[in-house]
Amino acid sequence: MLENSIFAILALFLVGGSLMMLWSRETVLSAFGFLVAMLAMAGLFALLENSFVFLAQIMVSVGAVVVLSLMVITSINMKEENLPSEPYKLRWMLFSALLVSPFALLMYRTLVHLGQTFDTSREGYGTLKGLGGELFSHWVLPFEIVSVLLLAAMVAAIVIARKEPKQ
Amino acid sequence: MTLAAILVSVISLVVGALLALLMIPVLVWLERRGAGLVQDRLGPNRTNVFGFRFGGVVQSFADVVKLVLKEEYYPAHIARHRWLLMLAPMITFSAALLAFMVIPFADNIVIDGESLRMQPLPVDYGVLWYMAIGAIGVVGIFLGGWLSHNKYSLLGSSRAGSMMVSYELPLGLSIIAFVLTYDTIDFNAMVTWQSGTVLGFLPAWGMVVQPLGALILIVALFAETNRNPFSVSEGESEIVAGYMTEYTAMKFAMYFMGEYVAMNSASAVIITMVFGGYQLPWVSTETLLAHFNYFAWAIMLVIPAIVYLVIRWMRKNNRVRPTVISDGSREFEAKVLSWAMIGMTVVVEAILLYLSFSPDAVLGTAIAVTLLQIVVFVVKLMLFNLFFILVRWTLPRFRYDQVQRVGWYYLLPLSLVNLFITAIIVVGVN
Repeated sequence: MLENSIFAILALFLVGGSLMMLWSRETVLSAFGFLVAMLAMAGLFALLENSFVFLAQIMVSVGAVVVLSLMVITSINMKEENLPSEPYKLRWMLFSALLVSPFALLMYRTLVHLGQTFDTSREGYGTLKGLGGELFSHWVLPFEIVSVLLLAAMVAAIVIARKEPKQ
Repeated sequence: MTLAAILVSVISLVVGALLALLMIPVLVWLERRGAGLVQDRLGPNRTNVFGFRFGGVVQSFADVVKLVLKEEYYPAHIARHRWLLMLAPMITFSAALLAFMVIPFADNIVIDGESLRMQPLPVDYGVLWYMAIGAIGVVGIFLGGWLSHNKYSLLGSSRAGSMMVSYELPLGLSIIAFVLTYDTIDFNAMVTWQSGTVLGFLPAWGMVVQPLGALILIVALFAETNRNPFSVSEGESEIVAGYMTEYTAMKFAMYFMGEYVAMNSASAVIITMVFGGYQLPWVSTETLLAHFNYFAWAIMLVIPAIVYLVIRWMRKNNRVRPTVISDGSREFEAKVLSWAMIGMTVVVEAILLYLSFSPDAVLGTAIAVTLLQIVVFVVKLMLFNLFFILVRWTLPRFRYDQVQRVGWYYLLPLSLVNLFITAIIVVGVN
């Protein structure tokens, strides 16, 4: 019962934060909604006693993504008149909603049956030790590939951000 | 859960909250008296309650009363989103407060064969918690600076925020080096690891084992707490008080107190990771428990001497001017405090005497050892807070570009090198 009510509260915050992020016209309110949603998500992981994912969620999503988006908001002066004009916004939205509705059905059917296909997690899976053991025994190669990918992305970002050498 | 477990968790929560919150007025007072010491003046020392001044700590409580009762003032240009403007300092404050809650202030106490953590939040991933929760504080700074609708605030918040984000890299890398050395992310296990000795005579503190990492950690934490010499968010001549410019009354006080809580947490992390935490040098918890008699006798000898010196110092200094002899209220305060100290000494001596002559009092010994460790922790914490304060009033503020240069050009490569060397040594030793 307690678990369910905590879940309900966190889910409320998650949905509310996401809606706030999508619908508010002010960038800073969007960022705040993003923050709330991410913290609620971390709370859901904590409810599953998955301590590592909980902390990684806070560290990456809040400590990096939300903070960087706030940094972008403070450094660019976002104004309504600077945005591109969208004359047929509603029509486009309806058209695209019609276009993706089959996928929504597909999504729904997948999500409904998803719960039965997953195993329950092993003992101590969510802890840092368990996850590290799993990651470095069964999934070493994908892990290393991902790290190389991230390194490449970092180098690319630095190359793009670098000033052009003077001719 | 047994009764002992519930009691211990409640007590550690209370002690943790007291250490974090009650430290704020003490630190504010210490800061102002420390500034006075450095600048060759006295600092606040006159506010009193019925003649009790406690060296001026009462001034901090008077300040809090003033800030609570002050008018909530919003400048006219802050028309929208006042709720978020109020929430911003709360985010910063609660992030700093929560980050403190994983610091162990005594070793696990064993009651009836059950090992209980003396940690407000009894988790075994303290380092990650500190890094993750500590990072949320930046969000409050950004929100406050942006919502103030003021160029000074905006500049201050983006300066503070980008500095904190930059210094998170050397901080994280130096912490990873420590994690590699201690082979754990649990603060308590880190302290236990540091109870041994290196080379036979030096205590195995992080300062000795990882000198470069310790230095980087301390510098990065100075930057993370926005303290001098890294207080780039403020600048009296250019950007006024930074992101706090438009804040009044208790909203300002939340930012202000959050800074002190963050400083307190930073010193707690530094002493836990680098200076042996709650432990006396060379003495591990097992030694303390096994030979508590000798320690009890040593403490019984040392305490009266310290109390005697403190009382003499107080009687000499607690007056308006050394040449003016008669000040009734100050003499009264000195008298009452002397008797209180003597009374406490007698009680402590009696308890220690009882414990040292009753070898069966296992629980009593465990509690006494825990209390001793809490005292050692608080003393170390205060010493390091004093270090923070003296550094603030000694060094000038760095220029913003200098701060970023130090972070990216020197600390980051140094911490990477330190990480590589540590990894090679750890793998080589094993």
